[in-house]
Amino acid sequence: MVKQASLLSQLQAIVGADGVRRDDELSNFAVDGLTPQAAVAPSSYEQVAEVLRYAHTEGLAVIPRGGGTHMHIGNVPGRYDIGLSLLRLDQVVEHEPADLTVTCQAGITLDRLQRHLGQHGQLVPLDPAWGEETTIGGILAANASGPSRHAYGAPRDFTIGLKVVTADGRITKAGGRVVKNVAGYDLCKLYIGSLGTLGVIVEAGFKLAPTPKVERTVIATFDTPGQACAFAADLQHRRLSLRAVQLLNATAASAVGLAQQGLCALVLDLAGTPQAVERSRREIGELAQDAAADLRDEENAAMAWQSRMRPGSAEEPYLLCKAATLPTHLPALIESLETVAGPPHILALPTVGVLYASWPRLEDAEAAIGRLRTAVTALDGSLVLERCPLDIKPRLDVFGDPPPSFDLMRRVKEQFDPKGVLSPGRQVGRL
Amino acid sequence: MPNPSLIRDLSRVVGRKLVLHEPEDLLVYEYDATIERGLPEAVVVPDSADQVAEVVRIARRHNAPVTARGAGTGLSGGAIPCDGGIVIVTSRMNRILEVDADNRIAIVEPGVINQDITDAVSGHGLYYAPDPSSQKVCTIGGNVAENAGGPHCLRYGTTTNHVLGLEIVTPDGDLVWLGGKTVDPPGYDLTGLVVGSEGTICIVTKVIVRLMDCPQSTVTLLAIFDEVDQASHAVSAIIGQGIIPAALEMMDRNTMRAVEEAVQAGYPPDAGAVLLIEVDGLEEETREQADSVRAVCEELGSRELRIGFSAEDRERLWAGRKGALGALGRLAPSYYILDGVVPRSKLPAVLRGVYEACDTFGFQVANVFHAGDGNLHPNIMFDERVPGATQRVLDLGEVIMRLCVEAGGTITGEHGVGYEKRNYMSWIFSEDDLDVMASIKLAFGATDLFNPGKVFPSSKGCGEVSSRMKAAIAKVGPDAYV
Ligand SMILES: Cc1cc2nc3c(=O)[nH]c(=O)nc-3n(C[C@H](O)[C@H](O)[C@H](O)COP(=O)(O)OP(=O)(O)OC[C@H]3O[C@@H](n4cnc5c(N)ncnc54)[C@H](O)[C@@H]3O)c2cc1C
Repeated sequence: MVKQASLLSQLQAIVGADGVRRDDELSNFAVDGLTPQAAVAPSSYEQVAEVLRYAHTEGLAVIPRGGGTHMHIGNVPGRYDIGLSLLRLDQVVEHEPADLTVTCQAGITLDRLQRHLGQHGQLVPLDPAWGEETTIGGILAANASGPSRHAYGAPRDFTIGLKVVTADGRITKAGGRVVKNVAGYDLCKLYIGSLGTLGVIVEAGFKLAPTPKVERTVIATFDTPGQACAFAADLQHRRLSLRAVQLLNATAASAVGLAQQGLCALVLDLAGTPQAVERSRREIGELAQDAAADLRDEENAAMAWQSRMRPGSAEEPYLLCKAATLPTHLPALIESLETVAGPPHILALPTVGVLYASWPRLEDAEAAIGRLRTAVTALDGSLVLERCPLDIKPRLDVFGDPPPSFDLMRRVKEQFDPKGVLSPGRQVGRL
Repeated sequence: MPNPSLIRDLSRVVGRKLVLHEPEDLLVYEYDATIERGLPEAVVVPDSADQVAEVVRIARRHNAPVTARGAGTGLSGGAIPCDGGIVIVTSRMNRILEVDADNRIAIVEPGVINQDITDAVSGHGLYYAPDPSSQKVCTIGGNVAENAGGPHCLRYGTTTNHVLGLEIVTPDGDLVWLGGKTVDPPGYDLTGLVVGSEGTICIVTKVIVRLMDCPQSTVTLLAIFDEVDQASHAVSAIIGQGIIPAALEMMDRNTMRAVEEAVQAGYPPDAGAVLLIEVDGLEEETREQADSVRAVCEELGSRELRIGFSAEDRERLWAGRKGALGALGRLAPSYYILDGVVPRSKLPAVLRGVYEACDTFGFQVANVFHAGDGNLHPNIMFDERVPGATQRVLDLGEVIMRLCVEAGGTITGEHGVGYEKRNYMSWIFSEDDLDVMASIKLAFGATDLFNPGKVFPSSKGCGEVSSRMKAAIAKVGPDAYV
């Protein structure tokens, strides 16, 4: 193990004095309670590469990070020596509006990128929580997505290229800058969601979408999640102009004032051409009447958006899980999650088959987590504990049992990072 | 020469009738839709994933490479057994195993024909979106291997956007599921990695595909332009309007001429290019978008616009595009289909470069392609009986690929690297990039077992071209294309 003093001087030689973070800033780099010996913020891809070459030679563990908004996702790191901030790599590299594509550096925040694109009537179809802080690199590494994946899909669906620094410090690329490309293996897929365990993403390119001409939000309330899900499925089948469909269970809906006590809320974001949105709104109105659901237009859509976007309550939830299941199993899953422990806040994407459930506090969390896993497994779903109390987290694999293809995943990790330099232990099965 | 003990072992798994090893039986498996050839030692036609796994284990024991083969419509030499060995044909594994209409997914075997999925689910108001022009014959296994695209991938994405999970046979001969019916499975996205891996790291034995709801309304427009340049500017302008059509295809003068003779689509003989633009969605949406598209095309000098609302009218507008490849067969004894991508805004310049290069080489070219994605398909017409013509066509192809790369594009948008373009890989990827890709092969333990000689640069040649082969090629000829 290198001494901290020599570590710091080595790192300073690579990134310069302004690239090394002070000791009193190190706590900002903590991951699951582990604080690194040093933290750096390189200002070029070459510096990132050099930091990794150094870490690789010395066998030091590096955890990359962007805005830090998704660092709670993943297992407790096995080791952690150097925090690697990408925040100084925050430029738009190339945006040719006529091509409807963009290339940007990994440390740019989502909001800043959207503002840039918005001037040209375009957007990158990403809307996970904390847009003002979350960075493109972090979103990709965590495979984070938001409600608009109903219309646009997940990051894997529109990422067209990546620049990635390998564990041994080589700057490599995957994909390219054009919207269709099948040259070579599609490594973008592999890096997206790899949680910084296979490489450090320093640059990314996307297919963009035009900003919709008209947007509006309506909210329907229902007695049960089952009714809400059936309603959502019907809208999907009619292919109405919907950008997002979100279901809040009664606890979540009343907490943010979207529904009366005991009712769940279906938040429908309409987007598209003026007449198509108008027609969609009309049709939703008629269907709501048939279903005896209350329907109202949400005037302050932006406000409602903000409050809903952060799964769970305003304070950090004690436990936050993401579950995926077949859309038809969602009502049953919601029902069983509601009875497994105390009342959760649930935000579901019924047309996608994903939900986020959070508990502000829990008695005997470990036993409750066991019951959650049983409930999800019974419905052929997957469950990831995205936020989990630190006193029990080291004992758990937050991803659950390794999948059938785990052996291949392990072999991929071994090839990409044989020395275990990159975010060691954070992925499924502690890869 | 086939090794008798290999044949015996294979016969034990699938039965004697389903192991082909007589020279005359092997001929058909020596080529796909490209120019190269390579002769296998044996062809097996398994009926189940377990049989495929067993065949792979046998191949390993005998040190014989394995190449999977769907319908053999590939356009990059992917299904050609460059190093001989065993070809696994998936034609008997053609069952649709499950359709879950409520959750919009289906589980299918790899030999299922692309179009058959849509036919099986259309009763539920659903369809399978990726639609390679070869969809009436190509298999889903081949689509997964190549990450196939098609006219409607502009709006809805390619194969990779519609595959949720895969059952594969690894080089060890193990059956493993990647992904599944639900989204965001924990761990690495190996499903996404296998899609587009061209049969080089595993054999796909089951595919979970995503289905889509049919649109309520579809409108097709055909815009005729005097010049290719005008048409390619219109492509950017339409996208620039914030419209992403479901499909946006272009055909140039040579294509139209051939189509006109074959299907009488009513294209004016002096026109330079047509755009075929399809918008779909709610009726209101398609009306609004069709109006905008029309306005853009007119402003950019379209001399005539046709519009189709009913299924029959739309079919008529598409007839020319769909019959294009078949029609090209009339212009020359052979043609060579290229596949490159450029940023949409570079289309006008690159197309000009393509025509110039073809002039310089003295070949006629017909362009019919997925313009909205910037995905070019120049078809070079030639007569392979003319000595040296085939080589010059390949050289011309290389020049055109260079043009694409220099414009910021890539060497293949949907047909794959295969054998044909493996040596162009180093134009767009550094040694380090390729090294990382190669480590995937190592991780799967696939080094030389599956489809050797493909995707990665190599100076090794593929098979031989015997004169007997020539006859077989001539027999298949361009009319074999759908
Ligand atoms: C007229 C014509 C039009 C075409 N139009 C399009 C188009 O619009 N878009 C497009 O993308 N392509 C197009 N193609 C190319 C071709 O049809 C596609 O690449 C298609 O996906 C190939 O499918 P196939 O079943 O014929 O595969 P094959 O040619 O048999 O094989 C292709 C590759 O897939 C591998 N493979 C096959 N099955 C498996 C399996 N089960 N597991 C692992 N690997 C496997 C093979 O080893 C090979 O590398 C066209 C071809 C023709 C002839």
